[in-house]
Amino acid sequence: MDVNAFLDGFGLVTEPQNLLYCLIGVLIGMLIGVLPGLGPAATIAILLPITYSIDPVSAIIMLAGIYYGAQYGGTITSVLLRLPGEASSVVTVFDGFALAKQGKAGTALGVAAIGSFVGATVSILGLTLVAPLIAGWALSFGDPEYAALALLGVLLVATIGNGNKLKAMIAAAVGLLLATVGRDSFSGAERFTFDSLQLTEGIDFVVVAMGLFGVGEILYNLEERHGKPHVPAAVANIWPSRKDLKQSSGAIGRGSVIGFVLGVLPGGGAVMSSLAAYAAEKRIAKRPERFGRGAIEGVAAPETANNAAATSSFIPLLTLGIPANASMAMLFGALLILGISPGPQLVEERPDLFWGVINSMYIGNLILLALSIPLVGIFVRILRVRPAILAPITALITILGVYTINNSTFDIFVMIVFGLIGYLMKKTGFEPGPMVLAFVLGSIVEDGFRRSMLIFDGDPTGFFTRPISGTILAAFVLVALWPAAKALLARRKTGSDDTSEPHVPAGHR
Amino acid sequence: MRTTTHLLAATAGVAALALSACGVSNTAGGGGDGEEYPAGNVEMYVGASAGGSSDLISRAVSKGLSDELGASFPVINQEGANGALAANKVAKAKADGQTIAIQNASLFAITPLAVSEDEVTDLGDFDVVQGVSRDDYVMVTGPKSGFTSLDDIKSAKKKVTYGTTGVGTGAQLSCGLTYGSAGVEAEAVPFDGGAPALTAVLGNQVDTACLQVGEAIENIESGKLTPLSVFGPERVDYLPDVPTAKEQGLDVEVAQYRFMTVPKGTPDDVKDAIAEAMQATFETKAYQDFNKQNSLTPMEIPGDEVVTQLEKDKKRFADLVAEYDLDLGAS
Repeated sequence: MDVNAFLDGFGLVTEPQNLLYCLIGVLIGMLIGVLPGLGPAATIAILLPITYSIDPVSAIIMLAGIYYGAQYGGTITSVLLRLPGEASSVVTVFDGFALAKQGKAGTALGVAAIGSFVGATVSILGLTLVAPLIAGWALSFGDPEYAALALLGVLLVATIGNGNKLKAMIAAAVGLLLATVGRDSFSGAERFTFDSLQLTEGIDFVVVAMGLFGVGEILYNLEERHGKPHVPAAVANIWPSRKDLKQSSGAIGRGSVIGFVLGVLPGGGAVMSSLAAYAAEKRIAKRPERFGRGAIEGVAAPETANNAAATSSFIPLLTLGIPANASMAMLFGALLILGISPGPQLVEERPDLFWGVINSMYIGNLILLALSIPLVGIFVRILRVRPAILAPITALITILGVYTINNSTFDIFVMIVFGLIGYLMKKTGFEPGPMVLAFVLGSIVEDGFRRSMLIFDGDPTGFFTRPISGTILAAFVLVALWPAAKALLARRKTGSDDTSEPHVPAGHR
Repeated sequence: MRTTTHLLAATAGVAALALSACGVSNTAGGGGDGEEYPAGNVEMYVGASAGGSSDLISRAVSKGLSDELGASFPVINQEGANGALAANKVAKAKADGQTIAIQNASLFAITPLAVSEDEVTDLGDFDVVQGVSRDDYVMVTGPKSGFTSLDDIKSAKKKVTYGTTGVGTGAQLSCGLTYGSAGVEAEAVPFDGGAPALTAVLGNQVDTACLQVGEAIENIESGKLTPLSVFGPERVDYLPDVPTAKEQGLDVEVAQYRFMTVPKGTPDDVKDAIAEAMQATFETKAYQDFNKQNSLTPMEIPGDEVVTQLEKDKKRFADLVAEYDLDLGAS
C-alpha cells in the first residue's frame, strides 16, 4: 500500500466540496434505502446526468455514498414494517420485527446502526490494507465453490428457523422450485413461464419478499385489527442499553469478518454473509431458542455482515474491474462516462480516485452513524400509527416499490399473489424466511452446479478435489451431521452404547 | 418587496399555465407536422438493466436528443428476454415517436436461433431510424491456460471450455462458430452476463471466453488476459494488434450493433427529426469521447442500411449454425 497516496486521498476527501458530495450521497442513499424497491442501482442511473458536470472524484464519492447509505436505510423497513428491501436483510426481519413487536424497535435499530458502522469500517480497513490479496482469492472462487457455498446456505436456511423443521424444509423446497421459473440460462428453454414473456427473466426477489413478508403481514393484521394494536403503545427504550450493546458486541465482531470475506465474492456474497453470520450466532449462542423471538444478536450479526459485505464488494470493482452486483455495474458505467476505466491499473493510474473513494467511505459511514442514531427516535414513532392508517400506507409503499424495479404492473400482481400465499403460510404456521432465502440461493446452486458439470466435463468428483469447494462441502457434512453426533455423544455419556444409527441425515432430527 | 415577489409568482404562474396550454394544443393537433415533435417527454425503452453497455449508450443518446430537441428523453429500463420486453413496449406504442428504443442486433439476428418461434421479435413491427454503434467481441484466455494464439487452440489435445455472456448472445455465437469452424472439441459454459464470464476466465475457471471489448479491455491492457481474436469485419481500433478471425482463416464474423427504432408507421418527419438530432449528437465531442471510453465503433449508417445488414446477418448466422451443427439453445 502506498502510504503517501493514501494520505493524499484523505486530503482530497476533506476538501469542503467533496465532503458536501459525500453528505449528499449518503443522505440520498439512506432515503432510498428506506423505500423498498427503488434501489441504489436505479438511483445512481437517475443521477448519472448530474455527474457529467462535476469533478469525477466528487461524483464517484457521491455515487458510492448512495450505495452504502442505502444499506443503512434498508434495515428500518425490515425491523419496523417487516419489509426486507434486499435479499441481505431478510434474516434481519426474524428478530428485528419480533423486537419491534415487544416495543424494542429502538434497540434493534440502534444496534443495527452501530453494527453497520463497525462492519463497514472494518471492511474499509480491509479494503485499505489487503484489497489486492483478497481480490485474487475471489478469482479462485469458481462455480463449484459457489454451488457448494449456496448448498451450505440452503442447509443453514432449513436450520435457522425456530418453528417446525419439516415445515421449514417444505417452505425451502417451494422456494427452490420458484427459483427455476424463467428462461433457462443454459438451454434457452422456458420453465414455468406459461408462455408469458414477463416471466422469462424469472421472478424478482423483491417481488417475492414484499409479497410474502409485507403484504402477508398486512393481510394477517387486517384480521386482528379489532384485537390488540400493532405494538405495545409505549415504545419503551429508544436507545440500546449497555447490556444490549455488550450482548451484541461479539455478534458485531464476527459479523464484520464474515461480511468482509464473503462480500468479496461477486454474486450472492452479501446474502450468504448475512445468513452465515446469523447462523453462526445461533449456533454458538447459549440459548439458541431465543433466536427468532427477539434476540438482539439476531439483528446485530446480519446487519453488520451485510454492511461489511456491501463495502468489500468494492474490491473486485476497484482492483479487477469486475462489478459484483447491479449497483457496482452502475458505478462501473459511471466511471466509464467520467473517463476512468476501472481495472487492475486503476490504483496506479488514478490514485487520487482510488484512495479518494475509499477514504470517503470512512467519513461517509461516520456521517451515516451520526444521522441514523437521532433518526431512530423518529422512525420508531411509525409504530404508534394506528394499523388502519399504517396498513394502506405500507401497501402503497410495497406496490410503488415493486413497480419501480422493472416498471412493470405485472410484478405488482405477482406480489399480491405472493401476499396471499404469505398470509396463508402465516395462518398455517409456515415461515416465509426459508422460502425467500431458498429462492435466492436456489438459482446460485443450480447455475453453479450445472456450470461446474460443464467445466468438469460431467465428472462430479471435481467438487471434492478442488480445495475450496472440498472444504465447504466438508463443512456442509459437519453442519449436517453435528446434531446427530451431539445426540450420539450425549447418549454415550449417559451410558447407553447403542451406535446403530451413526448417519442420521440432518433434516430428520 | 413582498408585493413584487407575489407579482413575480403570479406572472410565473400565468406563464406556466399558458405554456402548458400550448403543450396540450400541440399534442392534440400534432402528428403531421415535424416542427411539433416532440410533444412532451419521449420514453426511451432499454431492454437491459441499468449499467450495461446497452443502457449507457441509450443514456448517452438520450442526453444528446434532449439537448437537440428540447424535450426530456427519460430512459426506462425494461429488462428481460434479451430485450424482447422493451421491444414489445415500442411495437405496441402509438406510432407518433413518443415511444422509442435503441435496440440490439442480437435480438433480431441471433436470439431467434436460440429460442422458440413464438418468442421471436419481429423486425417488421418497427421502423429503423438510424444506426448507432458497433460493439465488438473478443476471444480471450487466461494466463494459465497455456494458449497464446488461435493456432494453439486448434492443436489443443483436450476439450476446451469457453465462457459466454449467455444463451442467444453474440458472444456465444462468435465463440461457438470459432470452435465449430476450427473443428476443435469445445464446451460452452454460459454465464449470466459479461461480468461473471470475465471473472471466470480471469480465475482460470474456463479456458477461454468471448466478451465484449469494453468488458475485457482493461484486463487485456494490464496483461491479465490474452486476446486471441476479434470477430468484426476489420480489426478493432481499440485493440489494433489483435487479428480478426477472418485473418486467421476462420469464416467467423459476428458483431453486436445498435440502432434506433420507432413503432412501424411513424410519420417520416418525426423519424427525420430523430435521425437529425442523433446525427448532431454524434458530432459532439462528449458523445465521441463516450464511444472511445466504452470501446464502441461508430456505425452511424441510415436506417435502411441497418435493415439490410440485419437481414443479411440473420440469414448468414442461421446458415453457419446449420453448417457447423451448433446448438445455441432449445429452438
